[in-house]
Amino acid sequence: MIQTETVIRANDPVGGGCRRMMLDAPPEYGNARPGQFVTLRFPDGSGPLLRRPFSIHGVVKAADGTVGVELLYKVVGGFTQRLSAMRPGGAVDLLGPLGNDFGVDASARRVWMVAGGIGAAPLAFLARRLAEMGVDMASCALFMGGRSADDLISTERFADLGMAVHATTEDGGAGEAGLVTAPLAREAAISPPDVICACGPMPMLRAVAGIAEARGIPSRVSIETVMACGLGACLGCAVETAGDEKGYRHVCRDGPVFDGGWLKR
Amino acid sequence: MNDPTENGPDLRTTIGGLVLKNPVLTASGTFGYGREFMDLIDLDRLGGIILKGVSLSPTRGNPPPRVVETASGMLNAIGLENVGFDALVREKLPLLETLGTPVFINLYGTTVEEYAVLAAASDRVDRIDAVEVNISCPNVKAGGAAFGVDPASAAAVTAAVRSRTTKPVMVKLSPNVADVAAIARSVEDAGADAVSLINTITGMAVDLKTRRPKLANVTGGLSGPAIKPVALRMVWQAAGAVSIPVVGIGGIMTAEDALEFITVGASAVQVGTANLVDPSASVRIVEDISAFLSENGIARVTDMVGALTV
Ligand SMILES: Cc1cc2nc3c(=O)[nH]c(=O)nc-3n(C[C@H](O)[C@H](O)[C@H](O)COP(=O)(O)OP(=O)(O)OC[C@H]3O[C@@H](n4cnc5c(N)ncnc54)[C@H](O)[C@@H]3O)c2cc1C
Ligand SMILES: Cc1cc2nc3c(=O)[nH]c(=O)nc-3n(C[C@H](O)[C@H](O)[C@H](O)COP(=O)(O)O)c2cc1C
Ligand code: FES
Repeated sequence: MIQTETVIRANDPVGGGCRRMMLDAPPEYGNARPGQFVTLRFPDGSGPLLRRPFSIHGVVKAADGTVGVELLYKVVGGFTQRLSAMRPGGAVDLLGPLGNDFGVDASARRVWMVAGGIGAAPLAFLARRLAEMGVDMASCALFMGGRSADDLISTERFADLGMAVHATTEDGGAGEAGLVTAPLAREAAISPPDVICACGPMPMLRAVAGIAEARGIPSRVSIETVMACGLGACLGCAVETAGDEKGYRHVCRDGPVFDGGWLKR
Repeated sequence: MNDPTENGPDLRTTIGGLVLKNPVLTASGTFGYGREFMDLIDLDRLGGIILKGVSLSPTRGNPPPRVVETASGMLNAIGLENVGFDALVREKLPLLETLGTPVFINLYGTTVEEYAVLAAASDRVDRIDAVEVNISCPNVKAGGAAFGVDPASAAAVTAAVRSRTTKPVMVKLSPNVADVAAIARSVEDAGADAVSLINTITGMAVDLKTRRPKLANVTGGLSGPAIKPVALRMVWQAAGAVSIPVVGIGGIMTAEDALEFITVGASAVQVGTANLVDPSASVRIVEDISAFLSENGIARVTDMVGALTV
């Protein structure tokens, strides 16, 4: 974990009101694990008060040893609006890598990923890392859901690795019409994977965890809460998890990735 | 340690006989149990650290959402979630064993007797250098109003803690009162070595779309830059009312903010929300206070305590 003022190398629109950003990063980011996140702030203290969390979307190691960290973000409010206006060369205060990871290693053979819109961000990093570890990506798959075609961002990153991509949109504008859980449930009934990793809105995560549980498939879900510190210091990011009668878990420290079975339904 | 002629200005300040190497403490609840920041900053650069508030038994805290950002500030309703006194001593303090800076425990209870038991237990723990008493908590035996809103119950808690420990006792005052000077005087009379203020200001935020409160607890405590003017006013009032040291808290983001508190009468300060936003804030504030004093030819930070001209 390290805090640095760093430089933006790229900040390009990728459709759907989203952008992909590349930041110079300290060499420690070479050891970042899929599922981990960073927090950002503007070094001059302008913009909103609290740091904003973003999943690590990719880590690029150049031949000269320098490391870049990629983020994929959706413009939703004050901070992301300001971020979207930043040009290459601009500075941000970067803190990370934070949190735990999807916990999927090379022994996994058939990994399915379920993304709701911007939830593709950490999963693309996971897919890339699995490919680097020698996992046969043709036996892995992405299920990607959105409201409309615009929300199906970054699917090429998965397809380029050889993964099957099952896309759904609620308005039927692209892929199958309906929710992403429909093809997921259908395919899982035919030939269940070894593990399901998911990131997206809470109702989607609950449904995915339910499908996985019904078929006895382990699932790992990445969840979002408001965060004030990202360090486990403020206890602001509490979530209630099943079977945890005595206490809450904290998304920044115990997560952001949890076993699907822990989600309170 | 700090020879003013060789190492720049003397930043030392004293609270209840405890000498701090500089006047910057980290505020309770914004610095975890210290170790959360160890990878990021050198804790020994700080004047002291104040741990997350602790109760006799583990406390679960409030349901989420617990935090919401507001204009220049944040509301929190953590509900004093903590591991409980025994686990703190067993699991958290050993990680601070080699620290060269004082560790303050921050105590809270729901009865005067709980405060007394916590104070006695703290007295037996070497790694605890001083006790901060959070009196902004509901007094369950008196209808749930906070101890800190009434001079008599604030004094009762202070006296109970004072009688059970020889360590320095700093009582942390609530801003949610009509006359903070009266509360400060009553805890001084009851034996406090110092007062610290302010705790968070009770506030609220509403989601207009759902017409629901943004915090599950409905109300929460406001902190951050938004509260600094209120905090400065209250620290000034308290400093005018007591002769024990006053520790200023509320919206401190920079050395200038800290020095404003010192100018109105604070002997030291606590940095809270700034730690969450920028983990290096407290250390930077120490460095910048030193630079400010050097630039202005001031030999000792204590020369600025109460230097306000009205
Ligand atoms: C661990 C973690 C990883 C994340 N990874 C990414 C990522 O890779 N890419 C990305 O675009 N976003 C990600 N987010 C969400 C991101 O942090 C928020 O979108 C961002 O903080 C919004 O800031 P803002 O100031 O632009 O919007 P705000 O003004 O803070 O909010 C604007 C609107 O967005 C909603 N909103 C804010 N935060 C969240 C949230 N966490 N979840 C759902 N709705 C929210 C608010 O309720 C509000 O309606 C992640 C969040 C967490 C906790
Ligand atoms: C997330 C959070 C948790 C807090 N927890 C405690 C606590 O356990 N005990 C306490 O006395 N004060 C607690 N406080 C209050 C702070 O110590 C401080 O008094 C207040 O935040 C004002 O200072 P600031 O504006 O610099 O944050 C908490 C504040 C925040 C933001
Ligand atoms: S965000 Fe502060 S503890 Fe998780």
